[in-house]
Amino acid sequence: MTGYIIKRLIAMAVTLWFIITLTFFLMHSIPGSPFNEERNTSEAVQRNLEKFYHLDEPLYVQYGMYLKSVVTFDFGPSIKKSSQTVNEMLGRGFPVSFELGIVTLIVAVFSGIALGIIAALRHNGFIDYLAMTIAVLGISVPNFVLATLLIQQLAVNLAILPVATWSSPKHMILPTLALATGPMAIIARLTRSSMLEVLTQDYIKTAKAKGLSPVKIVFKHALRNALLPVVTVLGSLAASILTGTFVIEKIFAIPGMGKYFVESINTRDYPVIMGTTVFYSSILIIMLFLVDIAYGILDPRIKLHKKEAS
Amino acid sequence: MKKFLSLLLAGVLLFVMAACTANENAGKETDSKDDGKKEESAEKVLYLNNGQEPTSFDPPIGFDSVSWSALNNLMEGLTRLGQDHEPEAAIAEKWDISEDGKTYTFHIREDAKWSNGDPVTASDFEFAWKRLLNPDTGSSAAFLGYFIEGGEAYNNGEGSADDVKVKAVDDKIFEVTLVSPQAYFLSVITNPAFFPINEKVATENPKWFAEAESFVGNGPFNLTEWEHDSHFVMEKNDQYWDAETVKLDKIHWAIIDDTNTEYQMYQSGELDVSDVPSELSEQLLGEAKVEDQAGDYFYRFNVNMEPFQNLNIRKAFAMAVDQQQIVDFVTKNGEKPAYGFVSYGFADPSGKDFREVSGDLVKTNAEEAKALLEKGMEEEGYDKLPEVTLTYSTDDTHKKIAEALQQMFKENLGVEVKLANMEWNVFAEEQKALKFQLSRSSFLADYADPINFLENFQTGHSMNRTGWSNEKYDQLIKDAKNEADEAKRFELMYEAEKILFEEMPIIPIHFYNQVYLYNDAVSGIVRHPVGYVELKWADKK
Repeated sequence: MTGYIIKRLIAMAVTLWFIITLTFFLMHSIPGSPFNEERNTSEAVQRNLEKFYHLDEPLYVQYGMYLKSVVTFDFGPSIKKSSQTVNEMLGRGFPVSFELGIVTLIVAVFSGIALGIIAALRHNGFIDYLAMTIAVLGISVPNFVLATLLIQQLAVNLAILPVATWSSPKHMILPTLALATGPMAIIARLTRSSMLEVLTQDYIKTAKAKGLSPVKIVFKHALRNALLPVVTVLGSLAASILTGTFVIEKIFAIPGMGKYFVESINTRDYPVIMGTTVFYSSILIIMLFLVDIAYGILDPRIKLHKKEAS
Repeated sequence: MKKFLSLLLAGVLLFVMAACTANENAGKETDSKDDGKKEESAEKVLYLNNGQEPTSFDPPIGFDSVSWSALNNLMEGLTRLGQDHEPEAAIAEKWDISEDGKTYTFHIREDAKWSNGDPVTASDFEFAWKRLLNPDTGSSAAFLGYFIEGGEAYNNGEGSADDVKVKAVDDKIFEVTLVSPQAYFLSVITNPAFFPINEKVATENPKWFAEAESFVGNGPFNLTEWEHDSHFVMEKNDQYWDAETVKLDKIHWAIIDDTNTEYQMYQSGELDVSDVPSELSEQLLGEAKVEDQAGDYFYRFNVNMEPFQNLNIRKAFAMAVDQQQIVDFVTKNGEKPAYGFVSYGFADPSGKDFREVSGDLVKTNAEEAKALLEKGMEEEGYDKLPEVTLTYSTDDTHKKIAEALQQMFKENLGVEVKLANMEWNVFAEEQKALKFQLSRSSFLADYADPINFLENFQTGHSMNRTGWSNEKYDQLIKDAKNEADEAKRFELMYEAEKILFEEMPIIPIHFYNQVYLYNDAVSGIVRHPVGYVELKWADKK
């Protein structure tokens, strides 16, 4: 196990280096510049700006400087918001996105699994159809539509919740609902289909024959196996939800880090593009690693150290 | 296995607790805010939205409207734009202008103070203006300082700071020498790029502008709280020389980037002022206040590319456009259609508006357009017009306008134009490299004078972007810039605009405007056409 983990850690570092390198050169190959403005800027001003941010240096020099900044975890100042550093922006935005993300994940995972189990147990019954209708709606209604709808109904018309911004638990309810519905639906459908598959297997029949209570059968024997596919999607889902979502954060004016992903590319804010990419990929890689570990625990047939040999 | 599960559970519990503690703190904040609201009868708090996080509160760096709306109320330059949008005395209580119109001697008010109590001195201005021009500052506003003698040379690395003709004669007298006499200089220096900087504070803490705690201003309001990306708060500045005029106690600026959310918060009473969401502009335009903004939405021809090297073909395309229809049925936001380039709101010495005197220089006329197209094609020996592609940057409004233009060219000229769109940054790059035949453009004035519009089309100017060049035009602009007599200067500018439209390197579409919804209790918010908002006179019942 330890050997496996060390091997994985090395592979993770290499993956990250690949991502950094690829992003760096892709980013510089897109036409455009952070100083492109519709308004008037004189050539001297343009040159001064480029010099100020070292953009006049050859690309390999900039790449070297960048690698150094990644190793020291100092991504430098943002070009567009020049009085702030990328570290400050991530340090401020990530806790907010994380807070919203973790609440969303808890809501989505618990309600999704519950919905999936109920649907599977009442297979082809009314409750199954109801649960799956909710799930299909959850997947097909985009979260920004849901968000606007929720605001208009609950905040403007009924005035029981605040419209937007991020300052109290009350403010969290609408964005959490809007954000959790999609993942909840995905998890519910996955749980349902794998539960259905597991419930027909022999060991469940054995358990039933042994006279175990239905609750024990479902939660102790069936669910554990049925959760494998859910855990698989959970890794990447968690990484994307925890690092913030552009649209929901924009609609609810939440000061998270979701907007940096999109805005930095639009404005060619190179340090922010690199900072967010490195940050996001690190989290994604770690999540995938945790998922692999979780496999081994959920299903003892998956032996991690055997993978090592292959 | 069991160990892992319990670990997992403990982990989840920790997360939830972390989330809860954060919420408790947040809860307290709202409580105090609610208290503030209850005291509203005693305390006047205005709730506004800044749209985005300000770029920077460092005056020469925050060169955009998201920084200006705050900066202009936190600090003050030698002059300030008044309620009539004309420059008036501010930190300078008066000034003398030399006979040749090039040297300005400003007398700084005795009672002008920084928010930390320091007096505002002439050397604070000298420090700030030289810093604006210093190439190492990396200011995109530096070109505004090219009016000052030695400014351009210092900024492009040929000169030195000592050669820039700005001088603190003593504590309260500040002297500036310009390259040429420019009556609108007093208006240019109302721009936040020309605000003073407290030299002592900036030397001690070079990042004084980054947080509310360290910010030192000299304007009507004081920055008291700044939670980045979330909101900032300003309170009345008691040190301000004209504090008596300031009526509001506090301004709470939210940072909400979504116009629909902004409007919904306005509906629920959480904001006092709101933009009009574009989908609702038809319904809400009646309730909104519509004000001029100095700038144009227009299209650029590329005069180096076929078929637009031909003047008559350019004219034909320009006349085929129906500006009135575009503002009435496409943008529907109360804009004024543009039949010239200089926008409304600039009075000449006789008091008449530049736009009205200069008149309609291009008029929609389908018949004449068709005749001109035929004439142009004959001149070029075309049997069939070379294919024309109209390019715009990806955006809903730009798309709608582009489609309307496509339709007008088809109906009025019988020409099928292809449409292409591109991500904004790539678009900007290619437009500067003159790679488009016909492309969307916009211009927002940096300072309040027609010359700021007209200078764009000088040969090789960074805003030209059409490949168009005209010696006589260049000369007129040059002469206007050196003309001390205002009446003569306006004559030169009228003539220049006429030439621009005789040559037609552009198609004007509409002038910009500022459209906002105001809560009935709010009054006195002044929005200048050059883009900054003034809250010094604002009040809330």
